[in-house]
Amino acid sequence: MDFIFLSILLMVAGTALCLVIHRQFTLMKTTGVLAISAGCLIGLFNSLIQLFHPGTEAFAAAYLHGFSLSFAIDGLSAFFLVIIYFVSFLAALYSFHYLSTPEKALRTGLSYLFFSLLIASMVLVVVAANMITFMLFWEIMSLSSFFLVVYDYEKPENRKAGYLYFVFSHIGAMMLFAAFGLIYGFSGSFGFDGAASLPDWVKIVVFVLAFAGFGSKAGVFPFHVWLPHAHPAAPSHISAVMSGVMIKIGIYGILRVYAVLNDHHPLFGEILVIAGMISGILGVVYALGQQDIKRMLAYSSIENIGIILIGMGIGMMGVSAGNPVMAVLGFAGGLFHVLNHAVFKSLLFMGAGLVIKKTGVHDMDAMGGLMKKMRITGITFLAGSLAISGLPPLNGFVGEFFIYMGGFKGAGMDKLPLILSLMAIISLAVIGGLALACFTRVLGVVFQGEPRSERAAKADEKGPMMLIPMAALAVSCGIIGVFPEVFSLMTIRGVSALNLGYGDIPFSPFLQMTGNISRSAAVFLLLVICVLAVRYFLYQGKSIPRAATWGCGFTRPTVKMQYTGSSYARSIIDFFRPVAYLCENHPPVQGVFPAGTQYSSHVIDIAERYMEVGIVRPVLFFFDKLRWIQQGDIHPYIGYILLAIVLLLFFV
Amino acid sequence: MIHSVDILLSFVLLSVLFSFGTSRLVVMIRIVAFQGVAAAIAPFFLEHSMSFGGIVFTMSILSIRGIIIPWSIYAVVKKIGIKRALEINVGYNASLFFCLLLIVSAQMLSHKFNLSDFTGSKLIVSAAISLIVAGLFLLMARRNAIVMVLAYIMMENGISLLGAPLSAGAHTIVEFGILLDVLAGVMIMGIMLQSIQNKYVNLDTAQLRKLKE
Repeated sequence: MDFIFLSILLMVAGTALCLVIHRQFTLMKTTGVLAISAGCLIGLFNSLIQLFHPGTEAFAAAYLHGFSLSFAIDGLSAFFLVIIYFVSFLAALYSFHYLSTPEKALRTGLSYLFFSLLIASMVLVVVAANMITFMLFWEIMSLSSFFLVVYDYEKPENRKAGYLYFVFSHIGAMMLFAAFGLIYGFSGSFGFDGAASLPDWVKIVVFVLAFAGFGSKAGVFPFHVWLPHAHPAAPSHISAVMSGVMIKIGIYGILRVYAVLNDHHPLFGEILVIAGMISGILGVVYALGQQDIKRMLAYSSIENIGIILIGMGIGMMGVSAGNPVMAVLGFAGGLFHVLNHAVFKSLLFMGAGLVIKKTGVHDMDAMGGLMKKMRITGITFLAGSLAISGLPPLNGFVGEFFIYMGGFKGAGMDKLPLILSLMAIISLAVIGGLALACFTRVLGVVFQGEPRSERAAKADEKGPMMLIPMAALAVSCGIIGVFPEVFSLMTIRGVSALNLGYGDIPFSPFLQMTGNISRSAAVFLLLVICVLAVRYFLYQGKSIPRAATWGCGFTRPTVKMQYTGSSYARSIIDFFRPVAYLCENHPPVQGVFPAGTQYSSHVIDIAERYMEVGIVRPVLFFFDKLRWIQQGDIHPYIGYILLAIVLLLFFV
Repeated sequence: MIHSVDILLSFVLLSVLFSFGTSRLVVMIRIVAFQGVAAAIAPFFLEHSMSFGGIVFTMSILSIRGIIIPWSIYAVVKKIGIKRALEINVGYNASLFFCLLLIVSAQMLSHKFNLSDFTGSKLIVSAAISLIVAGLFLLMARRNAIVMVLAYIMMENGISLLGAPLSAGAHTIVEFGILLDVLAGVMIMGIMLQSIQNKYVNLDTAQLRKLKE
C-alpha cells in the first residue's frame, strides 16, 4: 500500500511542479512525463507483486472525523492496478511529443496535473474498501477526466462534449449514490461487508442501480451517448487512457458490487449478457458508420465493453447454475478482454492521434495512403486492428476464445440460460465479423491507397516518443497472444477475489487451453515466416513494377476514384437500418449538363435520438416553466432559504 | 424555577420584536450589539464551573460581538450619513406580525430539541431559533445593505447561541469558527457596501438586479 501512495504522491507533486515552471515548456513537459512515468512504474511493479502474492493488504485513515477512508488490495484490485499503471505510463510517454504547442504552456501543465489526478483517482477507486472512499475518488475521477476532455475548449463542439460527459457521469454517480444509499440503509455501515446481508429484493435493486451507474461510465448501451462525443474531443493520450482504462473502472465497479452482494441470482448474469449483446452489436454497427476516426474508435470501445459484459454475464450465469468451469471461463474471459482492450484500444487511439496530428483532419475519407509515409504507425495500427478483430495469434483472440468456451459450457443448461448462452455465442461471432469489416475499412481507407488530401500527402512521422509507446503496445499484443499462460494466471487471480464460493478454482482447463493457443500461434507464425521466405525466394531477380493503388489501368487516375469508407460500410449498415438509420445528403444528378453534386452521410444513433426526444426535451420544457424562480435579486433567494429552513424546522 | 439566563434571553426575544419594527439604523445597531453581548455571556452562565480561561474567553467574545463589530458599523453609518433604512420589501406591520408568529412557533419547536434538560434554560433554543430565522427574514425583507449586514450578524448570534448548549465543553472551537465566519462575512459585505455605494450612490441592494446578464 505504501508504494501505491508513494506513486500517487510522486505523480501529483511532480505535475503540480509543472504549473510553477510552465514558462519553460520543454522542461515542464519533461518534469510532467518523468513524474507520471516514474510514479506509474513504481505502482506497476508493486501491483504486479501484489497480484502474484495472494491475500489482501489494507490501510485505513480517519477523514473529517466522521468517516474513515479505507483501502484494500485484493486480486481484482491488483489486476486493474496493473492495467491502469501500464497504460497510463505509456500514455504519459506519448504525451511528450503529442502536446507540442508552447503557446498553451499553462494549459499543458494543467492537463498534466489533471492527468496525474485522473490516474491517482482511478488507482484509489479500485483500492477503495468502503463506500465513502469509493465515491470520493469516483467523483475526482469524473471531474479530472472532464477537465481533460475540455482541453481544447475553444471549439464549441468540445465544450458540448465536455458538458454531455459531465451530465452523464453525474447521472451515473447519482445512481451509484442510490445503490450505496440502499446498502447503507439496510446494513447501517459504510463498509462493503454489510452488503452481503441485505434482503434478496434489495440486492436486485442495488445491482440494477449500480449496473446503470457503472454502465454510464463504462459506455454500456444506451448510457453510452457521451462516449462518442468525449473521446474525439480529448487529446489522444487522454482518449487512450479514458477508453483503455477509465471506462474499465465501470466494469470493475460492476464486478465489485457483484462480489460484495455475494448473491448468485440468475437475473444478474442475464441482465449482463443481454446488455452486452446489445452494446456489442450496436457499438460495432455504429462504428462502421462513422467518418471521424476517433469517434469510430469510441464506438468500437462500446462494442468491446459489450464483449466484456457478455463474458462476465456468462460467468454469472455459470455461478448461478453451479457450473464452475463456465463461471471461471466467463469471468476470466471478461477480465482477459479488459486487459486486451486496454492494450489495443490505447494503441489504436495513439495511432489515430498521431494520424490526426500529422494530417490535421478527423475524417477518415480525407486521409489515405499513410502507410507509405507513416510506416511504424501503420504497422502498429495494423497489429492493433488485427488484435481488436479477435484474430489469432494476437491477444484479442485469447479473451474472446475463453468467452466462447464459457458460452459452449452453458449449452448443457435449460431454457433461458441455454438460449442466452447460444445467443451470446452467435452475437460474439457477429461482433467479431463486423469488427473485422470495420477495421479493414479503417486500414484500407486511412493507410492504403493514395492520399486523398494535400495534408495527407505531406504527412510525416516525427516524434519518437509517440512511436515508442505504440511499438511497445503492439509488441504486447503479440506477447499476450502468443504466451497467454502468465496473463491468464493474472485473470484467475482477479477472479479468485470475487468470492464465487468454489474454494479452489478449476485450473487445468486453462493451462490446457492456453497451451494449445500458444502452440497453434507458434505454428501460425512459422507458417507466416515460411510464406514470406517463399515469396522472397520466388521474387528474387524479378522486376516489380509499381503503380498507383487501385489505379485500375487508368492512365491518369485521380484520388476521387478510390473506394471510400462510407461506400464500403454502406451495405452492412443497410442491413441494420432499423437501428442505424443512414442519413444521406445527395442532390441527384439531373439534366444534360448536370451541376456539381456532393454526397455526405451520417448514421443516427438511436439511443442519442430517443434520449433527446424522450428525456431531454420534456425536461427542458419543464424547467423552462420554472424560470420565474430565477430573478436576479438576492432577496427572493434569501426568502427561498428562509422558507426551506422553516419547513425543515417544522417537518423534520 | 426561572433560570437566570432566561431573563436575559427574554429581553433578546423582545429585542427581536423591536428590530422588526424600527427603521432607524442606530437603533438596529444597538439591538444587534445587545444580542451579541447576550450571545457571548449566555454560554458562560450555562457552564457548571467558572474558570479563569472561561472568563477571559467570554470577555474577548463580548468585546468583539458587543463592541468592535457594532462600533465599526456605526462608524460606517456616520460616514455615509444615512439615518433611516427605508428600502423595504415587507412592511413594518407585516414584519411585526411575522415576528410574533416566529417567536411563538420557535417556542413550540424548542421542545423538539430537548436541550433544556441539561442546560436548565427554557428559552435558549427558542431564542436561538428566533435570532436565526429573524436574521434571515430581515435579510429577505430589507433592501438596505447595512441592515442586511446587521441581519447577517443577528443570524450568526443565533447560531452561536444554539451552538453553546450543543457543544458543551468544546464551545471554544465552535465560537472561534463562527467568529471567523462573521469576520469573513462582514469583510465581504463591507467591500460590497463600498462597491454598491460607489456604483449606485445609495445602498439599495435591489439595484444589483441591474447586473443580471
